[in-house]
Amino acid sequence: MIHALVVTHGGVARELLAVVESILGPGQGLEAMTNTAKSAQVLAEEVSDWCDAHLSGPTDGAVLFVDDMAGSCAVACRLIANRKRPVRVLSGVNLAMLLDFTTWRESLPIEELTRRLVEKGRQAIAILPHMSGED
Amino acid sequence: MSVLLARIDDRLIHGQVTVGWSRHLEPECILLCNDDVSADPWQGKVYASTVPPSISVIVCDRAEAAKLLMVEGGSRTILLTSSPADMLDLVRAGVSLPVVNVGGMHFVKGKAELHEFVWLDQGDLDKLRSLLEAGCRLVAQTVPGSRDIVIGAEALNTLESRL
Repeated sequence: MIHALVVTHGGVARELLAVVESILGPGQGLEAMTNTAKSAQVLAEEVSDWCDAHLSGPTDGAVLFVDDMAGSCAVACRLIANRKRPVRVLSGVNLAMLLDFTTWRESLPIEELTRRLVEKGRQAIAILPHMSGED
Repeated sequence: MSVLLARIDDRLIHGQVTVGWSRHLEPECILLCNDDVSADPWQGKVYASTVPPSISVIVCDRAEAAKLLMVEGGSRTILLTSSPADMLDLVRAGVSLPVVNVGGMHFVKGKAELHEFVWLDQGDLDKLRSLLEAGCRLVAQTVPGSRDIVIGAEALNTLESRL
């Protein structure tokens, strides 16, 4: 079983998880965290505490989703993930990634799961064709 | 170095710096002055990796930063420290900083709110006061175009009475 924390600017994480729950129901192994009004140190401590809480028992690892790959959420998560195993940080979080996470978190090892999630996230970004099929 | 912006920000390098200020000021260099980050190469790499490749990044401790900053001319630079204490050390070492941007000092237990993104304890207050006494103008502002608020002695005195 792999757990996940979504760490974003503002209320993005909270709202993404609300949508996941509205589609799949509660208890999907996802939690939300914001960087709003937090120093880098406080944010890193909160991420670290979450990792400790979720890596202490039987687990196959944890995924930290962030929105901006160059922002304070990513910096905090990368600094913590470097010290804790097995934790992976994925940037550019979107709904497709989170829905796929809930489907596969119990059956795939973390390396395979994270590769899959990146692929799914990228596939979900597209210019959608017009209904007529014309440009 | 030519300092375009001297900023106190407890998040150091993040979006407000790499996108907000950098698009506005077009720096050639970001100088991250922090003893702890400087002592940990991994932390330095993580911070540096978040900066666009057109901007060079120097991570160093206070002593090295003071030396670099006192070299006249050179790269157009954004200077970052995580605390007023570090910025004051640079000023006391002889670095000329007419304006110091207070960009982010977030809530920690025991600190009082000066502005939404500026929370201070007694130590912070004392250091900011010393920066004022050293001739620095203190301006609280997160990103270009957002509201800028001058921090004067009176505001610090008022806040101190609430600590």
